[in-house]
Amino acid sequence: MPGPDSDFLQGTLDVLILKTLSWGSRHGYAIARWLEDSSAETIRVEEGSLYPALYRMERKGWIEASWGMSELGRRAKFYQLTPSGRARLRAEIAAWRRLSGAVGRILEARG
Amino acid sequence: MSWRFWQPSLHREVDDELDFHLEMRVREFMARGMPAAEARAEAERMLGDATRLRRILRRAGKERDRTMRRTEWLAELRQDLAYGFRTLARNPGFTAIALLTLAIGIGATTAIFSAVNAVILRPLAIPEVDRVMLVGELYEDRAADVSVGNFVDWRAANASRPVFSELGAINWRNFTLAGEQPERVIGAAVTAGYFAVMGVAPLRGRVFTEEEDRPGGARVVVLGHRLWQRRFGGEPTAVGQVITLNGLPHTVLGVMPPSFDFTNGTEDLWVPAAFTPEVEAQRDEHYLTVYGRLSPGSTPDVARSTLAEVQRVLNQRYPNENGSRSVHVEPMMRQFIGDARSQLLLILGAVVLVLLIACANVANLLLARGATRAREFAIRASIGAGQSRLVRQLLAESMVLALVAAGLGIAVAWAVIRTLVAAAPPGVPRLEQARLDPATLGFAVGVALVSTVLFGLAPALRSARADLQGALRTGQVRASGGRHDWLRQGLVSAEVALALVLLVGATLLVRTAIHLQRVDPGFEPRGLVTARIALPAESYASPEAVRRAFETVLEHLTASPGVKSAALSSQVPMGPGGGFNGLIPEGKPVAPESQVNARMRLVSPGYAETIGLRLKRGRQLSTADRTGGPRAMVVNEALARDLFPGQDALGKRVVCCEGAPDDLRWKTIVGVVGDVRSRGPDQAPQPEFFLPISQAPDEAWNWIARTMSLIALADQDPLVLGPAMREALRRVDPSLPVYRIETLEASLANALAPARFRTALLGSLAGIGLLLALVGIYGVIAYLVTRRRGEIGVRMALGATSGDVLRMVIGQGLRPVLAGTALGALGALAATRLLATWLHGVSPNDPLTFGAVALSLTGVAALASLIPARRATKVSALEAMRAE
Repeated sequence: MPGPDSDFLQGTLDVLILKTLSWGSRHGYAIARWLEDSSAETIRVEEGSLYPALYRMERKGWIEASWGMSELGRRAKFYQLTPSGRARLRAEIAAWRRLSGAVGRILEARG
Repeated sequence: MSWRFWQPSLHREVDDELDFHLEMRVREFMARGMPAAEARAEAERMLGDATRLRRILRRAGKERDRTMRRTEWLAELRQDLAYGFRTLARNPGFTAIALLTLAIGIGATTAIFSAVNAVILRPLAIPEVDRVMLVGELYEDRAADVSVGNFVDWRAANASRPVFSELGAINWRNFTLAGEQPERVIGAAVTAGYFAVMGVAPLRGRVFTEEEDRPGGARVVVLGHRLWQRRFGGEPTAVGQVITLNGLPHTVLGVMPPSFDFTNGTEDLWVPAAFTPEVEAQRDEHYLTVYGRLSPGSTPDVARSTLAEVQRVLNQRYPNENGSRSVHVEPMMRQFIGDARSQLLLILGAVVLVLLIACANVANLLLARGATRAREFAIRASIGAGQSRLVRQLLAESMVLALVAAGLGIAVAWAVIRTLVAAAPPGVPRLEQARLDPATLGFAVGVALVSTVLFGLAPALRSARADLQGALRTGQVRASGGRHDWLRQGLVSAEVALALVLLVGATLLVRTAIHLQRVDPGFEPRGLVTARIALPAESYASPEAVRRAFETVLEHLTASPGVKSAALSSQVPMGPGGGFNGLIPEGKPVAPESQVNARMRLVSPGYAETIGLRLKRGRQLSTADRTGGPRAMVVNEALARDLFPGQDALGKRVVCCEGAPDDLRWKTIVGVVGDVRSRGPDQAPQPEFFLPISQAPDEAWNWIARTMSLIALADQDPLVLGPAMREALRRVDPSLPVYRIETLEASLANALAPARFRTALLGSLAGIGLLLALVGIYGVIAYLVTRRRGEIGVRMALGATSGDVLRMVIGQGLRPVLAGTALGALGALAATRLLATWLHGVSPNDPLTFGAVALSLTGVAALASLIPARRATKVSALEAMRAE
């Protein structure tokens, strides 16, 4: 998805996925559901972007995949964080906090 | 469980994952009360264009798999390298010897390669230098310089049928550059085409034009970079200034870049040749060096045959001057490098021998280590490490060894290059440009990899593949059976053979050097000082004026305090100047076929006495040989033999150097003197003759360019002679410099500098080779002793004495040494033939040298095996049995 802010959006999606996986391994559907639920459906992740993002992050070595049994007894592909993914998540969170703090201060500033 | 253990194809992976996703969505929507069909549609809608998504995912998956494979490979490599480092660090003795051996081999080879690269391989700073040819006359199958007449005719013929886009001639001359300190500089008269042939643009200003290269044209000069820096401090304002050359003003037209320095004449300035019609008609003096740039589509062969045809016509037209000359065309590059090529390639050959010895050593070390590690490999193989994994690990170990060795080798090369450049005799073109450039570094790494991987991995592999089960069963280091001992001994033989070749070569050169020290030069150099004086033709036109000036300088010098005797000569031994003339002895028809060539010297009376020339017959030239008196000549023994074979030359008459058919001007041989090695102790004497300057043919002053050497012997202190010579000339003409002041002892030593350098170089290479070979011999015998501890212990328990054991071990160690000596002697017989041109007083297959080298090599090898052999005698039977 081209566009001036695509890098930003892609980066954001990556962080959200990393965060989702920080509690344990999940398959793609569970990741999508968790993102919808926890943002009270504010963020609707395009399913067409979710899976490419997962493959890309796998290549970068942030997450790794394994096939296992789902809760319903179906074979499913589970993703989980690697140490380098966990480090990445920590760095992204810190950067996000800095950025949102700065933006917040500007928006709430009084003339 | 890694997904790769059960790895579906990428297709199925993508399909399964998306199917699962859809199914979960449908389930979710149906749980919210949607009918099945609607839920399915909604789920598919959310997923979007499924075909496109699948395609994207498959591509991403493929990329992901490739990256992961690479990462994994790198991780394993890192593991192997780390393991390699650890193994090397665990065996510091082995590692140190292997690295030292390799570093010396690689370092020496790399240094010599950098010299070869700088001198031979790197092209000159001339555009398309391979199209630039040296064009010479071919006279009696020898390349020779060109007469002005022939050059002008070639140029004219080439204009109508061009095989060269440009032809240019150069002729070196000495110039006196006026200034506070008059200076003698080497310059060249060149035709305008010379710059066009070389195709190098001037750094400042311009070069001269065709118009300026004509008689009566403006007096102009182009400066070389060196002279520009020295005299003008590199100021751009030099262009346009007027300098005084040989007493005449010349305008500086331009300055050439520093790279414009590719003749061995190392000239500092260029003036137009500006041939006059009289000079263009000169056909019997051949002194021009001619270069040509091949025209597009032309080849050296085409150029040669075309010009040869032209020359055939010229031969018919001027039979006396040309005789049967042909044309010689060779790439300028080859001529430029000249003798340095064979020298460097020979040294490179010697260095490669050293490298091979080093490689054999490393192979032997790795072989021994492979043997001791057979158990380790057996265990690793038995727990599932595949053959390829073991090979990869060995490869990584060799690589580690190679890379560290390359690093050390480059350090060694750096030191060797510096020493080489500093110690080399002058005259090797471009040697000072030898350095560690990317090509050299690449070469070093390449050599390191080839020598360790090729020579190290192969034997290591063999031992890895050796009897693994046997190794496990006995728990003993038994993997190296007889086959490997054989291989190890073969390597020792090879090392000894290579070292012997090097040692024989070095010894022959050392014997040559000793011989040359003792060679009688034919004169007495002690205390003699020489210097050159040149009189410019502009102010000293007539032969009388020239002679008078020289004679007056000599008178002043002879009268100076501290001067015992002094003389003049157109050429002193080892000095510059001089040329050949044809002599016709009486009794032969006065025709070109009767000519005998000899080197002419114009000398003052007293020359022979001053330099200690030995009189064999008759008398020396004296003041009695006056201008206008009977013409006298002294010849050396070589010329006497050439002129009058089997007869007494004394009193015989000779035609030479002047006269006409109706006025032959016979000269009488009044004396015969001993031969002089006037080109250096390593050069054979040439036929020479001496004429008194009082009777010099008028034309002779032009042949020697009005330039003579002063030569003086001091009463006591030779240091007074230089200033005395300057003062003597100053009193005659203060505008002229005295140059090349040197002692004859020094120039005699300088003449031997290349030989000394060669000897030192080959000598040190042979020393290194010997050292490395001894390390190899020591290593093998030490290994044999370790392996046969048990057997030795038993023998000693059964009553063998230490002497018996010593004899046995050394005997076994010497077997490959003797085989190597025999092999090396054969190799040396072939190799020393390449040295033949540099050997004097000793034949290339001198039996004494061969015998002495073989004997001492065997002796030293026996000593090297003595140390481990003595250790063998200390083995106690009990200990040996326990080890079993």
